[in-house]
Amino acid sequence: MYRAPSELLQAAFDDPVLDAQQSFRAALKALAEPGTRQPLAVVAAVDHLQAATYALCLSLLDNDTPLWLAPAFDTPAIRANLAFHCGCPVVEAREEAMFALLDAAALDDLSGFYNGSERYPDQSCTLLVQLDRLDRGPALSWQGPGIDGNRLVGLPLKPAFWQQRAARSDFPRGLDALFCADGEVLGLPRSTRIGDSLAEVA
Amino acid sequence: MNAHAIPASEAGYNFAYLDEQTKRMIRRALLKAVAIPGYQVPFGGREMPLPYGWGTGGMQLTAAILGAGDVLKVIDQGADDTTNAVSIRRFFARTAGVATTERTPAATVIQTRHRIPETPLAAGQIMVYQVPIPEPLRFIEPSEQETRTMHALGDYGVMHVKLYEDIATFGHIATSYAYPVTVDGRYVMDPSPIPKFDNPKLDRSPALMLFGAGREKRLYAVPPYTRVVSLDFEDHPFQIQQWEQCCAICGSGDSYLDELIVDDAGSKQFVCSDTDYCAQRAQQQESRP
Repeated sequence: MYRAPSELLQAAFDDPVLDAQQSFRAALKALAEPGTRQPLAVVAAVDHLQAATYALCLSLLDNDTPLWLAPAFDTPAIRANLAFHCGCPVVEAREEAMFALLDAAALDDLSGFYNGSERYPDQSCTLLVQLDRLDRGPALSWQGPGIDGNRLVGLPLKPAFWQQRAARSDFPRGLDALFCADGEVLGLPRSTRIGDSLAEVA
Repeated sequence: MNAHAIPASEAGYNFAYLDEQTKRMIRRALLKAVAIPGYQVPFGGREMPLPYGWGTGGMQLTAAILGAGDVLKVIDQGADDTTNAVSIRRFFARTAGVATTERTPAATVIQTRHRIPETPLAAGQIMVYQVPIPEPLRFIEPSEQETRTMHALGDYGVMHVKLYEDIATFGHIATSYAYPVTVDGRYVMDPSPIPKFDNPKLDRSPALMLFGAGREKRLYAVPPYTRVVSLDFEDHPFQIQQWEQCCAICGSGDSYLDELIVDDAGSKQFVCSDTDYCAQRAQQQESRP
Protein backbone atom coordinates (compact mmCIF):
# COMPACT_ATOMS: atom_id res chain seq x y z
CA MET A 1 0.00 0.00 0.00
CA TYR A 2 1.26 3.44 -0.90
CA ARG A 3 1.94 5.65 2.07
CA ALA A 4 2.84 9.33 1.82
CA PRO A 5 6.36 9.61 3.25
CA SER A 6 5.93 11.71 6.34
CA GLU A 7 9.33 13.35 5.97
CA LEU A 8 7.90 15.09 2.87
CA LEU A 9 5.13 16.73 4.86
CA GLN A 10 5.38 20.32 5.96
CA ALA A 11 3.14 22.68 7.86
CA ALA A 12 0.46 24.47 5.84
CA PHE A 13 -1.49 27.61 6.84
CA ASP A 14 -0.54 29.18 10.19
CA ASP A 15 -4.25 29.68 10.80
CA PRO A 16 -6.23 27.06 8.89
CA VAL A 17 -9.55 28.90 9.36
CA LEU A 18 -8.75 32.52 8.72
CA ASP A 19 -5.97 32.01 6.16
CA ALA A 20 -8.30 29.78 4.12
CA GLN A 21 -11.02 32.43 4.43
CA GLN A 22 -8.68 35.21 3.34
CA SER A 23 -7.48 33.21 0.35
CA PHE A 24 -11.05 32.38 -0.67
CA ARG A 25 -12.05 36.04 -0.45
CA ALA A 26 -9.07 36.92 -2.65
CA ALA A 27 -10.23 34.34 -5.21
CA LEU A 28 -13.83 35.57 -4.97
CA LYS A 29 -12.75 39.16 -5.52
CA ALA A 30 -10.40 38.12 -8.31
CA LEU A 31 -13.26 36.45 -10.22
CA ALA A 32 -15.75 39.21 -9.33
CA GLU A 33 -13.34 41.88 -10.61
CA PRO A 34 -11.49 40.11 -13.42
CA GLY A 35 -7.97 41.32 -14.12
CA THR A 36 -7.31 42.77 -10.67
CA ARG A 37 -4.61 41.27 -8.46
CA GLN A 38 -5.62 40.15 -4.98
CA PRO A 39 -3.24 39.21 -2.14
CA LEU A 40 -3.42 35.64 -0.79
CA ALA A 41 -2.53 34.31 2.65
CA VAL A 42 1.12 33.43 3.13
CA VAL A 43 2.20 29.79 3.25
CA ALA A 44 5.51 27.99 2.63
CA ALA A 45 5.97 26.74 -0.93
CA VAL A 46 6.16 23.00 -1.64
CA ASP A 47 8.77 22.15 -4.29
CA HIS A 48 7.89 24.50 -7.14
CA LEU A 49 4.28 24.84 -6.06
CA GLN A 50 4.56 28.52 -5.11
CA ALA A 51 3.01 30.00 -2.01
CA ALA A 52 0.18 31.70 -3.92
CA THR A 53 -0.88 28.62 -5.85
CA TYR A 54 -0.60 26.44 -2.78
CA ALA A 55 -2.71 28.87 -0.74
CA LEU A 56 -5.53 28.50 -3.28
CA CYS A 57 -5.21 24.69 -3.16
CA LEU A 58 -5.41 24.73 0.64
CA SER A 59 -8.48 26.96 0.68
CA LEU A 60 -10.49 25.32 -2.13
CA LEU A 61 -9.59 21.63 -2.41
CA ASP A 62 -10.82 18.71 -0.33
CA ASN A 63 -12.01 15.14 -0.80
CA ASP A 64 -14.91 16.34 -2.99
CA THR A 65 -12.59 17.84 -5.62
CA PRO A 66 -10.72 15.55 -8.03
CA LEU A 67 -7.53 17.33 -9.08
CA TRP A 68 -5.48 17.01 -12.26
CA LEU A 69 -1.76 17.78 -11.93
CA ALA A 70 0.35 19.14 -14.75
CA PRO A 71 3.60 17.10 -15.09
CA ALA A 72 5.60 19.93 -13.48
CA PHE A 73 3.62 19.56 -10.25
CA ASP A 74 3.56 15.78 -10.16
CA THR A 75 6.25 15.34 -7.52
CA PRO A 76 6.24 13.15 -4.40
CA ALA A 77 6.36 16.18 -2.07
CA ILE A 78 3.45 17.98 -3.76
CA ARG A 79 1.39 14.79 -3.88
CA ALA A 80 2.12 14.03 -0.23
CA ASN A 81 1.23 17.51 1.01
CA LEU A 82 -1.94 17.78 -1.09
CA ALA A 83 -2.97 14.31 0.09
CA PHE A 84 -2.41 15.22 3.72
CA HIS A 85 -3.66 18.83 3.89
CA CYS A 86 -6.41 18.75 1.25
CA GLY A 87 -7.22 15.08 0.88
CA CYS A 88 -8.13 15.64 -2.75
CA PRO A 89 -8.01 12.67 -5.12
CA VAL A 90 -5.46 13.16 -7.91
CA VAL A 91 -6.91 11.93 -11.21
CA GLU A 92 -5.16 10.91 -14.41
CA ALA A 93 -8.06 11.70 -16.74
CA ARG A 94 -8.59 15.41 -17.40
CA GLU A 95 -12.32 14.83 -17.90
CA GLU A 96 -12.71 13.79 -14.25
CA ALA A 97 -11.01 16.85 -12.78
CA MET A 98 -12.92 19.57 -10.94
CA PHE A 99 -9.70 21.51 -10.54
CA ALA A 100 -6.54 21.46 -12.61
CA LEU A 101 -3.16 22.64 -11.39
CA LEU A 102 -1.28 24.02 -14.38
CA ASP A 103 1.90 25.88 -15.20
CA ALA A 104 2.54 28.07 -18.25
CA ALA A 105 3.84 25.10 -20.24
CA ALA A 106 0.51 23.29 -19.84
CA LEU A 107 -1.59 26.14 -21.30
CA ASP A 108 -1.07 25.24 -24.94
CA ASP A 109 -3.53 22.41 -24.62
CA LEU A 110 -6.71 22.76 -22.56
CA SER A 111 -8.50 19.89 -24.27
CA GLY A 112 -10.21 17.37 -22.08
CA PHE A 113 -11.02 19.64 -19.13
CA TYR A 114 -14.79 19.62 -18.68
CA ASN A 115 -16.35 22.95 -19.59
CA GLY A 116 -19.80 22.17 -18.21
CA SER A 117 -23.13 21.53 -19.89
CA GLU A 118 -25.85 23.95 -20.92
CA ARG A 119 -27.94 22.69 -18.01
CA TYR A 120 -25.15 22.56 -15.42
CA PRO A 121 -22.46 25.01 -16.55
CA ASP A 122 -21.21 25.23 -12.93
CA GLN A 123 -19.77 21.72 -13.10
CA SER A 124 -16.91 22.83 -15.33
CA CYS A 125 -13.27 22.49 -14.33
CA THR A 126 -11.52 25.41 -12.60
CA LEU A 127 -7.95 26.04 -13.74
CA LEU A 128 -5.38 27.04 -11.11
CA VAL A 129 -2.51 28.41 -13.17
CA GLN A 130 0.89 29.24 -11.72
CA LEU A 131 2.86 31.86 -13.63
CA ASP A 132 6.17 33.63 -13.04
CA ARG A 133 4.41 36.98 -12.86
CA LEU A 134 0.97 38.49 -13.52
CA ASP A 135 1.97 41.49 -15.64
CA ARG A 136 4.32 42.68 -18.41
CA GLY A 137 2.64 40.56 -21.05
CA PRO A 138 0.83 41.95 -24.10
CA ALA A 139 -1.98 44.19 -22.78
CA LEU A 140 -5.44 43.02 -23.79
CA SER A 141 -8.73 44.82 -23.25
CA TRP A 142 -11.02 42.83 -20.94
CA GLN A 143 -14.75 43.52 -20.76
CA GLY A 144 -17.77 41.99 -19.08
CA PRO A 145 -19.25 41.46 -15.61
CA GLY A 146 -17.05 42.85 -12.85
CA ILE A 147 -15.36 45.37 -15.13
CA ASP A 148 -16.43 49.02 -15.30
CA GLY A 149 -16.07 49.65 -19.04
CA ASN A 150 -12.89 47.84 -19.94
CA ARG A 151 -9.65 46.93 -18.21
CA LEU A 152 -6.23 46.50 -19.77
CA VAL A 153 -4.58 43.35 -18.47
CA GLY A 154 -1.10 42.23 -19.46
CA LEU A 155 -0.88 38.58 -18.48
CA PRO A 156 2.30 36.98 -19.85
CA LEU A 157 0.48 34.33 -21.89
CA LYS A 158 1.06 32.98 -25.36
CA PRO A 159 -1.59 33.36 -28.07
CA ALA A 160 -2.15 29.60 -27.86
CA PHE A 161 -3.85 30.02 -24.47
CA TRP A 162 -6.34 32.53 -25.82
CA GLN A 163 -7.09 30.27 -28.78
CA GLN A 164 -7.61 27.31 -26.46
CA ARG A 165 -9.86 29.38 -24.19
CA ALA A 166 -11.95 30.59 -27.09
CA ALA A 167 -12.26 27.05 -28.42
CA ARG A 168 -13.60 25.82 -25.06
CA SER A 169 -15.95 28.80 -24.50
CA ASP A 170 -19.59 28.72 -25.43
CA PHE A 171 -21.26 30.74 -22.69
CA PRO A 172 -22.60 29.61 -20.26
CA ARG A 173 -20.18 26.75 -20.85
CA GLY A 174 -16.51 27.51 -20.38
CA LEU A 175 -13.40 27.29 -18.23
CA ASP A 176 -12.65 29.65 -15.34
CA ALA A 177 -9.03 30.40 -14.50
CA LEU A 178 -7.24 31.73 -11.44
CA PHE A 179 -3.68 32.86 -12.23
CA CYS A 180 -1.18 32.94 -9.37
CA ALA A 181 2.23 34.51 -8.88
CA ASP A 182 4.13 36.36 -6.16
CA GLY A 183 1.52 35.86 -3.47
CA GLU A 184 -1.32 37.20 -5.61
CA VAL A 185 -4.23 35.82 -7.62
CA LEU A 186 -5.83 37.21 -10.77
CA GLY A 187 -9.16 35.86 -12.04
CA LEU A 188 -10.36 35.17 -15.56
CA PRO A 189 -13.95 33.87 -15.45
CA ARG A 190 -15.63 32.53 -18.58
CA SER A 191 -17.87 35.63 -18.60
CA THR A 192 -14.94 37.94 -19.49
CA ARG A 193 -14.81 39.01 -23.13
CA ILE A 194 -11.33 39.62 -24.49
CA GLY A 195 -11.07 42.46 -26.97
CA ASP A 196 -8.32 43.66 -29.23
CA SER A 197 -4.77 44.01 -28.02
CA LEU A 198 -3.59 47.45 -26.93
CA ALA A 199 -1.52 47.74 -30.08
CA GLU A 200 -4.55 47.20 -32.26
CA VAL A 201 -6.68 49.60 -30.20
CA ALA A 202 -4.01 52.33 -30.44
CA MET B 1 -2.90 29.55 15.80
CA ASN B 2 -2.82 33.31 15.73
CA ALA B 3 -4.45 34.10 19.02
CA HIS B 4 -4.84 37.73 18.02
CA ALA B 5 -6.72 36.93 14.84
CA ILE B 6 -9.79 35.35 16.40
CA PRO B 7 -11.72 37.63 18.71
CA ALA B 8 -13.65 36.16 21.58
CA SER B 9 -16.37 34.02 20.05
CA GLU B 10 -18.83 31.44 21.26
CA ALA B 11 -16.99 28.41 22.61
CA GLY B 12 -17.84 25.06 21.06
CA TYR B 13 -18.46 26.35 17.55
CA ASN B 14 -16.16 26.78 14.60
CA PHE B 15 -15.53 30.36 13.46
CA ALA B 16 -18.82 31.61 11.94
CA TYR B 17 -20.67 28.43 12.96
CA LEU B 18 -20.26 26.27 9.82
CA ASP B 19 -17.56 23.60 9.63
CA GLU B 20 -14.65 24.17 7.25
CA GLN B 21 -15.68 21.56 4.69
CA THR B 22 -19.15 23.05 4.38
CA LYS B 23 -17.61 26.48 3.94
CA ARG B 24 -15.32 25.17 1.19
CA MET B 25 -18.29 23.60 -0.62
CA ILE B 26 -20.23 26.88 -0.47
CA ARG B 27 -17.13 28.87 -1.43
CA ARG B 28 -16.55 26.75 -4.54
CA ALA B 29 -20.20 27.21 -5.51
CA LEU B 30 -19.85 30.98 -4.99
CA LEU B 31 -16.85 31.13 -7.33
CA LYS B 32 -18.91 29.40 -10.05
CA ALA B 33 -21.88 31.67 -9.36
CA VAL B 34 -19.69 34.75 -9.87
CA ALA B 35 -18.26 33.28 -13.09
CA ILE B 36 -21.78 32.64 -14.49
CA PRO B 37 -23.73 35.75 -13.44
CA GLY B 38 -27.40 35.05 -12.73
CA TYR B 39 -27.12 31.24 -12.97
CA GLN B 40 -28.43 29.35 -9.94
CA VAL B 41 -25.73 27.03 -8.58
CA PRO B 42 -27.01 24.07 -6.51
CA PHE B 43 -25.25 23.68 -3.17
CA GLY B 44 -25.47 21.30 -0.23
CA GLY B 45 -27.55 23.45 2.08
CA ARG B 46 -27.12 22.75 5.78
CA GLU B 47 -29.60 23.01 8.59
CA MET B 48 -29.12 26.22 10.45
CA PRO B 49 -30.28 26.90 14.01
CA LEU B 50 -33.36 28.78 12.82
CA PRO B 51 -36.21 27.81 10.51
CA TYR B 52 -36.31 28.03 6.74
CA GLY B 53 -37.74 31.36 5.73
CA TRP B 54 -35.70 33.23 8.32
CA GLY B 55 -32.68 33.67 6.14
CA THR B 56 -30.86 30.33 6.33
CA GLY B 57 -29.58 30.71 2.76
CA GLY B 58 -28.21 34.17 3.37
CA MET B 59 -26.69 33.06 6.66
CA GLN B 60 -24.83 30.15 5.06
CA LEU B 61 -23.35 32.50 2.47
CA THR B 62 -22.42 35.04 5.14
CA ALA B 63 -20.82 32.28 7.24
CA ALA B 64 -18.79 31.13 4.23
CA ILE B 65 -17.43 34.55 3.30
CA LEU B 66 -17.05 36.22 6.70
CA GLY B 67 -13.55 36.96 8.03
CA ALA B 68 -12.24 38.37 11.27
CA GLY B 69 -11.80 41.85 9.76
CA ASP B 70 -15.31 42.16 8.33
CA VAL B 71 -17.92 44.58 9.61
CA LEU B 72 -21.41 43.10 9.31
CA LYS B 73 -24.72 44.89 8.84
CA VAL B 74 -28.00 42.98 8.75
CA ILE B 75 -31.29 44.45 7.62
CA ASP B 76 -34.82 43.12 7.40
CA GLN B 77 -37.08 45.13 5.08
CA GLY B 78 -34.61 47.98 5.43
CA ALA B 79 -34.64 47.96 9.23
CA ASP B 80 -31.66 47.15 11.45
CA ASP B 81 -33.81 46.73 14.55
CA THR B 82 -36.37 44.06 13.66
CA THR B 83 -36.28 40.54 15.09
CA ASN B 84 -34.74 38.80 12.08
CA ALA B 85 -32.01 41.41 11.65
CA VAL B 86 -31.18 41.58 15.36
CA SER B 87 -30.95 37.81 15.79
CA ILE B 88 -28.81 37.20 12.69
CA ARG B 89 -26.48 40.07 13.60
CA ARG B 90 -26.14 38.72 17.13
CA PHE B 91 -25.58 35.19 15.78
CA PHE B 92 -22.49 36.25 13.84
CA ALA B 93 -21.25 38.58 16.56
CA ARG B 94 -21.30 35.55 18.89
CA THR B 95 -20.06 32.78 16.58
CA ALA B 96 -17.51 34.81 14.59
CA GLY B 97 -16.78 37.67 16.94
CA VAL B 98 -17.03 40.11 14.03
CA ALA B 99 -17.76 43.81 14.41
CA THR B 100 -21.30 44.85 13.53
CA THR B 101 -22.76 48.14 12.45
CA GLU B 102 -26.01 49.76 11.42
CA ARG B 103 -24.27 52.23 9.15
CA THR B 104 -24.34 51.25 5.48
CA PRO B 105 -21.01 52.90 4.50
CA ALA B 106 -19.20 51.28 7.47
CA ALA B 107 -20.21 47.71 6.54
CA THR B 108 -18.08 45.35 4.44
CA VAL B 109 -20.79 42.66 4.33
CA ILE B 110 -24.51 43.48 4.37
CA GLN B 111 -26.98 40.62 4.75
CA THR B 112 -30.42 41.73 3.70
CA ARG B 113 -33.97 40.53 3.64
CA HIS B 114 -35.90 42.23 0.86
CA ARG B 115 -34.27 45.65 0.55
CA ILE B 116 -31.19 47.37 -0.86
CA PRO B 117 -30.01 50.29 1.29
CA GLU B 118 -30.82 53.80 0.06
CA THR B 119 -27.24 54.95 0.68
CA PRO B 120 -25.33 54.06 -2.50
CA LEU B 121 -23.15 50.97 -2.12
CA ALA B 122 -19.39 51.23 -2.58
CA ALA B 123 -16.80 49.12 -4.37
CA GLY B 124 -15.57 46.34 -2.13
CA GLN B 125 -18.86 45.88 -0.28
CA ILE B 126 -20.68 42.54 -0.49
CA MET B 127 -24.47 42.29 -0.34
CA VAL B 128 -25.93 38.93 0.76
CA TYR B 129 -29.60 38.50 -0.12
CA GLN B 130 -31.96 36.09 1.60
CA VAL B 131 -34.00 34.38 -1.10
CA PRO B 132 -37.18 32.33 -0.55
CA ILE B 133 -37.76 31.07 -4.12
CA PRO B 134 -34.74 31.56 -6.38
CA GLU B 135 -36.38 30.33 -9.59
CA PRO B 136 -38.10 33.21 -11.44
CA LEU B 137 -39.85 30.71 -13.72
CA ARG B 138 -41.22 28.58 -10.86
CA PHE B 139 -44.69 30.15 -10.73
CA ILE B 140 -45.14 29.47 -14.42
CA GLU B 141 -43.38 26.11 -14.68
CA PRO B 142 -43.33 23.92 -11.56
CA SER B 143 -40.91 21.33 -12.96
CA GLU B 144 -37.23 21.81 -12.16
CA GLN B 145 -36.36 19.72 -15.22
CA GLU B 146 -38.27 22.13 -17.42
CA THR B 147 -37.04 25.37 -15.86
CA ARG B 148 -33.45 24.13 -16.10
CA THR B 149 -33.96 23.44 -19.80
CA MET B 150 -35.55 26.87 -20.26
CA HIS B 151 -32.51 28.52 -18.67
CA ALA B 152 -30.18 26.37 -20.78
CA LEU B 153 -31.92 27.46 -23.96
CA GLY B 154 -32.48 31.05 -22.86
CA ASP B 155 -36.16 30.36 -23.47
CA TYR B 156 -37.72 33.20 -21.51
CA GLY B 157 -40.70 34.21 -23.67
CA VAL B 158 -43.08 32.96 -21.00
CA MET B 159 -41.86 35.66 -18.58
CA HIS B 160 -43.05 38.32 -20.95
CA VAL B 161 -46.38 36.52 -21.29
CA LYS B 162 -46.76 36.76 -17.51
CA LEU B 163 -46.06 40.49 -17.54
CA TYR B 164 -48.40 40.90 -20.52
CA GLU B 165 -51.19 39.17 -18.59
CA ASP B 166 -50.73 41.85 -15.92
CA ILE B 167 -51.23 44.53 -18.54
CA ALA B 168 -54.25 42.75 -20.01
CA THR B 169 -55.86 42.43 -16.56
CA PHE B 170 -54.82 45.64 -14.78
CA GLY B 171 -53.68 47.96 -17.55
CA HIS B 172 -50.14 48.07 -16.17
CA ILE B 173 -47.44 45.65 -14.96
CA ALA B 174 -48.71 44.86 -11.47
CA THR B 175 -45.63 42.91 -10.31
CA SER B 176 -44.24 45.11 -7.55
CA TYR B 177 -41.59 42.95 -5.87
CA ALA B 178 -39.31 40.06 -6.94
CA TYR B 179 -39.52 41.72 -10.34
CA PRO B 180 -37.56 39.59 -12.83
CA VAL B 181 -34.33 40.90 -14.34
CA THR B 182 -31.95 39.85 -17.11
CA VAL B 183 -28.32 39.63 -15.98
CA ASP B 184 -25.61 40.56 -18.50
CA GLY B 185 -27.98 39.83 -21.36
CA ARG B 186 -28.21 36.10 -20.59
CA TYR B 187 -29.90 34.68 -17.48
CA VAL B 188 -33.28 35.79 -16.19
CA MET B 189 -32.95 36.08 -12.42
CA ASP B 190 -35.17 36.63 -9.40
CA PRO B 191 -33.62 39.59 -7.55
CA SER B 192 -35.21 38.20 -4.33
CA PRO B 193 -38.38 39.87 -3.00
CA ILE B 194 -36.93 43.39 -3.05
CA PRO B 195 -39.47 46.01 -4.17
CA LYS B 196 -39.03 46.85 -7.84
CA PHE B 197 -38.07 50.29 -6.49
CA ASP B 198 -34.68 48.71 -5.72
CA ASN B 199 -34.16 47.01 -9.11
CA PRO B 200 -32.31 49.97 -10.67
CA LYS B 201 -29.78 49.82 -7.81
CA LEU B 202 -28.69 46.37 -9.06
CA ASP B 203 -27.66 47.68 -12.45
CA ARG B 204 -23.90 48.26 -12.68
CA SER B 205 -23.61 48.45 -8.89
CA PRO B 206 -20.01 48.71 -7.67
CA ALA B 207 -20.80 46.11 -4.96
CA LEU B 208 -20.77 42.33 -5.32
CA MET B 209 -24.24 40.80 -4.97
CA LEU B 210 -24.64 37.25 -3.60
CA PHE B 211 -27.99 35.49 -3.27
CA GLY B 212 -28.68 32.47 -1.08
CA ALA B 213 -31.79 30.28 -0.87
CA GLY B 214 -31.55 27.83 2.06
CA ARG B 215 -34.65 25.70 1.55
CA GLU B 216 -34.17 25.50 -2.22
CA LYS B 217 -30.39 25.06 -1.84
CA ARG B 218 -29.43 27.44 -4.61
CA LEU B 219 -27.05 30.37 -4.68
CA TYR B 220 -26.32 32.90 -7.40
CA ALA B 221 -24.42 36.12 -7.90
CA VAL B 222 -24.16 39.40 -9.76
CA PRO B 223 -20.58 40.73 -9.97
CA PRO B 224 -19.92 44.48 -9.73
CA TYR B 225 -20.64 46.66 -12.78
CA THR B 226 -22.86 44.02 -14.38
CA ARG B 227 -25.78 44.97 -16.59
CA VAL B 228 -29.03 44.13 -14.79
CA VAL B 229 -32.14 44.99 -16.82
CA SER B 230 -35.71 44.70 -15.55
CA LEU B 231 -37.99 42.98 -18.06
CA ASP B 232 -40.52 45.27 -19.75
CA PHE B 233 -42.13 46.25 -23.04
CA GLU B 234 -41.41 49.18 -25.37
CA ASP B 235 -44.92 50.57 -24.78
CA HIS B 236 -44.96 49.61 -21.09
CA PRO B 237 -41.46 50.53 -19.87
CA PHE B 238 -40.28 49.44 -16.43
CA GLN B 239 -41.30 51.91 -13.75
CA ILE B 240 -40.59 52.11 -10.03
CA GLN B 241 -43.02 52.95 -7.23
CA GLN B 242 -43.61 56.61 -6.41
CA TRP B 243 -45.31 58.30 -3.47
CA GLU B 244 -47.16 61.57 -3.11
CA GLN B 245 -46.00 61.72 0.53
CA CYS B 246 -42.59 62.33 2.03
CA CYS B 247 -41.12 60.50 5.04
CA ALA B 248 -42.83 61.71 8.26
CA ILE B 249 -39.54 61.52 10.18
CA CYS B 250 -36.80 62.77 7.86
CA GLY B 251 -38.84 64.29 5.04
CA SER B 252 -37.13 62.27 2.33
CA GLY B 253 -38.95 62.43 -0.97
CA ASP B 254 -36.90 59.84 -2.80
CA SER B 255 -36.63 56.81 -0.51
CA TYR B 256 -38.83 53.71 -0.31
CA LEU B 257 -41.67 54.43 2.14
CA ASP B 258 -43.58 52.10 4.48
CA GLU B 259 -47.20 52.92 5.23
CA LEU B 260 -48.08 52.97 8.94
CA ILE B 261 -51.56 53.09 10.48
CA VAL B 262 -51.05 55.26 13.55
CA ASP B 263 -54.44 55.35 15.32
CA ASP B 264 -57.85 53.66 15.56
CA ALA B 265 -59.30 56.11 13.06
CA GLY B 266 -57.02 54.67 10.40
CA SER B 267 -54.78 57.72 10.02
CA LYS B 268 -51.71 56.99 7.93
CA GLN B 269 -48.13 58.02 8.03
CA PHE B 270 -45.35 57.18 5.63
CA VAL B 271 -41.81 56.59 6.87
CA CYS B 272 -38.56 55.43 5.29
CA SER B 273 -38.15 51.67 5.21
CA ASP B 274 -34.35 52.12 5.49
CA THR B 275 -33.91 52.97 9.18
CA ASP B 276 -30.22 53.87 8.95
CA TYR B 277 -30.79 56.24 6.02
CA CYS B 278 -33.69 57.86 7.85
CA ALA B 279 -31.85 58.22 11.16
CA GLN B 280 -28.81 59.75 9.46
CA ARG B 281 -30.98 62.30 7.67
CA ALA B 282 -32.89 63.16 10.85
CA GLN B 283 -29.62 63.59 12.76
CA GLN B 284 -28.20 65.89 10.10
CA GLN B 285 -31.34 68.02 10.21
CA GLU B 286 -31.16 68.30 14.02
CA SER B 287 -27.51 69.28 14.02
CA ARG B 288 -28.16 71.99 11.47
CA PRO B 289 -28.61 75.41 13.16
